[in-house]
Amino acid sequence: MIVKNVKAYYVSGSGPDVKAVDNVSLSILEGEIFGIVGESGCGKSTLASVMSLTAGRTLKVKDGEIILNGQSLPLTDRSRVPKEWHGTMVALLPQRAMNSLNPTARVRDLVIDVMHAHHPEIRPADAVERARERLEQLGLPVRVLESYPHQLSGGMRQRVIAVISTLLNPHVLIADEPTSALDVSSQRQLIVLLQQLLEHQFISRIVYITHDLPMLSNFADRIAVMYAGKIAEIGPTVEIVGRPKHPYTQALIGSTLDLDPRLRGSQVKGIPGAPPDLRYPPGGCRFHPRCPHVMNICSIEEPPAIGTEERFAACWWVKDQVDKLSVEGAAS
Amino acid sequence: MTAIPQEQTGGQMFMAGLKRTRNTMSLLNPRFMFGLVLLGFLLFFGIFGPFIFNKTDPMKFVGMLYDPPSATAWLGTDNFGRDVFTQLMFGIRTSLMIGIIAGTVATLIGVLIGTVAGYTGGMVEEVLMALTNIVITIPSIVILILLSIAFKTRSLLVMGIIIGVTTWPWTARAVRAQTSSLRTREHVDVARLSGTPTLGLIFWEIIPYMLSYIVMAFVLQLNSGILQEAALSMLGLGIDKGISLGIMLQWALLWESVRTGAWWAFIPPTLLLTLIAFSLLLLQSSIDEIFNPRLRRS
Amino acid sequence: MTRFQRYLLNKAFWFFLAFFIALIFNFLLPRLMPGNPVDAIVGQMATGGGLSGEAQQRIYAAYIAEFGLDQPITSQFVTYVSRLAQGDLGISFARSPARVQQLIGQALPWTIALQLPAIIIGWTLGNILGALAAYKKGWLDRGLFPTSMFISSMPYYCLSIILLYVLAVFWPIFPAGGGYSYALTPALNWTFFSSVMEHYWLPFLSLVVIFVGGQAIGMRAMSIYELDADYVRFSRSLGVDDNRIIAYIFRNAMLPQVTGLALAIGSLVSGALITEIVFGYPGIGSLLFSSIRQNDYPVIQGVTLLIMIAVLTANFLVDITYGFIDPRIRARASGD
Repeated sequence: MIVKNVKAYYVSGSGPDVKAVDNVSLSILEGEIFGIVGESGCGKSTLASVMSLTAGRTLKVKDGEIILNGQSLPLTDRSRVPKEWHGTMVALLPQRAMNSLNPTARVRDLVIDVMHAHHPEIRPADAVERARERLEQLGLPVRVLESYPHQLSGGMRQRVIAVISTLLNPHVLIADEPTSALDVSSQRQLIVLLQQLLEHQFISRIVYITHDLPMLSNFADRIAVMYAGKIAEIGPTVEIVGRPKHPYTQALIGSTLDLDPRLRGSQVKGIPGAPPDLRYPPGGCRFHPRCPHVMNICSIEEPPAIGTEERFAACWWVKDQVDKLSVEGAAS
Repeated sequence: MTAIPQEQTGGQMFMAGLKRTRNTMSLLNPRFMFGLVLLGFLLFFGIFGPFIFNKTDPMKFVGMLYDPPSATAWLGTDNFGRDVFTQLMFGIRTSLMIGIIAGTVATLIGVLIGTVAGYTGGMVEEVLMALTNIVITIPSIVILILLSIAFKTRSLLVMGIIIGVTTWPWTARAVRAQTSSLRTREHVDVARLSGTPTLGLIFWEIIPYMLSYIVMAFVLQLNSGILQEAALSMLGLGIDKGISLGIMLQWALLWESVRTGAWWAFIPPTLLLTLIAFSLLLLQSSIDEIFNPRLRRS
Repeated sequence: MTRFQRYLLNKAFWFFLAFFIALIFNFLLPRLMPGNPVDAIVGQMATGGGLSGEAQQRIYAAYIAEFGLDQPITSQFVTYVSRLAQGDLGISFARSPARVQQLIGQALPWTIALQLPAIIIGWTLGNILGALAAYKKGWLDRGLFPTSMFISSMPYYCLSIILLYVLAVFWPIFPAGGGYSYALTPALNWTFFSSVMEHYWLPFLSLVVIFVGGQAIGMRAMSIYELDADYVRFSRSLGVDDNRIIAYIFRNAMLPQVTGLALAIGSLVSGALITEIVFGYPGIGSLLFSSIRQNDYPVIQGVTLLIMIAVLTANFLVDITYGFIDPRIRARASGD
């Protein structure tokens, strides 16, 4: 899956647009869990809503394209998204499991509606049967089908939502902070479930969005670090956690020793200052006002991506280091 | 999308509140202002009208039954030959007075019961809310009719109080909910730990924080008070001396003004009642939207 | 006993408590008048003239005995309740020897026939319009919302008066009041029926308009609220058909509206007392109006009792059925 040049701005009646996602490109490989991490307000949830094709009315997607399974979909006109993209190509695992199921319908009713939307000929009993099989394969209790949302615990509700989201075997599942409201053991159960979904090949890839880098590093294959609407650094999890290059990633890792997992990464305390107001993002590198290694060029020109498409950091200081290394290398 | 910092100083909070109010005010300006101007105009007419037009006795006979509008009686005469225009001015006065008394009584009782129930909790809350629920369940028109016939003389004050004591439960319910959520705030704890007595605490630490809410409830009660008074008057249970918009309508209906085509006897009070209700509703709903941004559509 | 049964029992307890307290009000308040109602009514008869002192005494004694006013207040209450249990509301002062239940029995069918269809049609239309306005937005919303606001801010009797004037006097399209032509006596024939229908439209229309306005506003607000709900976003993300999503929204927004319908039917007796007075419609409102003018306390008390029973019962039934319809309420009640 390739996500290209996504630009998504919140348009407000008065005042400048909020540039929540600015020129973000990603490529997500088959079979991997791809993590996106960043502070609250860095644009990661906006990116999630763009990628899951669920952007709200106030969000304007100025540019961007998704290429998935050999098909390409321009993101700028949401009214022209073909129906089969919803649920069979891309599916969403939403943030608030609490309210994401219709409170007055049984789980089976939603199952029937989802199946029917994509297979109009399917009989309701068959649709439910398919969900039953799926639950059994994943080791979840079948009785949840007959339950109303409020009869399920928070963790169970989120797992049920994950099963329904993936009922149509979508090519990618966008998980937008799905564990933020869950306790630690429910978090673990959900992660295990997501891994099972991949193993069974019900889904081919997962994009997992969170502010909790330590948790993410336990199961993500690769991680992208987002800051102020842009990708700061991308790399395999081991690299990001073990050898972070971007000063922001370094600060992020330095600040995640918090004991309370809910506070981890929600605010970066290691470095002074706060994330910028995205109506007036700073020029050049958006991190430069807080960066310990800031240089002159940082405030003037946007930093280039240093490295390969699979492993890069967008930073002048990193470029400087690399340049020095190569000079030294050439000298020796 | 921007994170809301958890800790804010009082000054910051105040400034943010002010900014929000200014923004919403400018947004709601037309509706709010229109309601305010309309109500102000009606008030002015009721209070100063009699002096401006030098018509100070609504009971004076100036003509015959249902004289059409003329130079002496600008809006004609009623079934007793009294001047409709003068009666309108005094009618507004009475209606608003009763509305204000009823609204004040209802708001006072409601705020008292609501804050005490919400703040003390436990047994006291249970009992007070049970009382509130019972009064809500019994249809108010029944209590109004029964109370009204129990009073041989119904002055303006009696009328206002009768209406006020039947409509307070809605305020009490809303205020209790607000109080319960305010009770756990830090500033309340601080005041409690420094030994402020309960009533003082409610008055200084709880009520100021929902003042705008109480104002909204008062406007609602004022509106319903005026309409209840008119309804009771039309049932024949209005004040026994003086004139109100409802009493004008009662006489007009009883004396066949509609069927005889004497529109001046019933259309003006009807319109005025509608305008009062409409202006109060505009005010109330525009205040309402400040608190419930979800009602606002971009 | 399950928790849901306890919920029912709890509701039943409150219903009976409220009913009992209302009954005491109904019994006590007219008796708290300075003097007593009998003084007032006999006094009035006397000022009307034509009554000898002896006749006055006889009437006075008869009324005192009828009301049991010579007995202590507690036994008066027992008598009152035991008569009520037999469906006896006493004798009308003004229309003696007619019994109160007879008078109410004559008036009530008119009120029901006028209000029930108006409530149901107004409710249905209002909900459809409100849901459409919330969902379609645009001109429908811009036009409908302020109009509904204005109409529902208008006291219902004011609209009645204006309609009566415009459609019966200014343009005499409809007859100006009454339940049927004064020249007729109630009978089961075509002339009478067509006269009744002719007199029916105007009060009916005025009630329907009011109901449509109020319901449309409520339904619009509820629908907007539901449209923003997370479950709508999630269902859309899975490609669930739009009309299925509208069905969810409609159902969830409808729940409070159904309560509204039940309560409106419950307050049917008291809901449009003044509309009946305005149109001279021979229902409960007109009966109450004339009884108040004649100080006919037994009839007034009978009417207030009827209103009370209707409203309290509707409240109770709503609480119970709501518990069945909405799984959330059921859960809260049973605590799981």
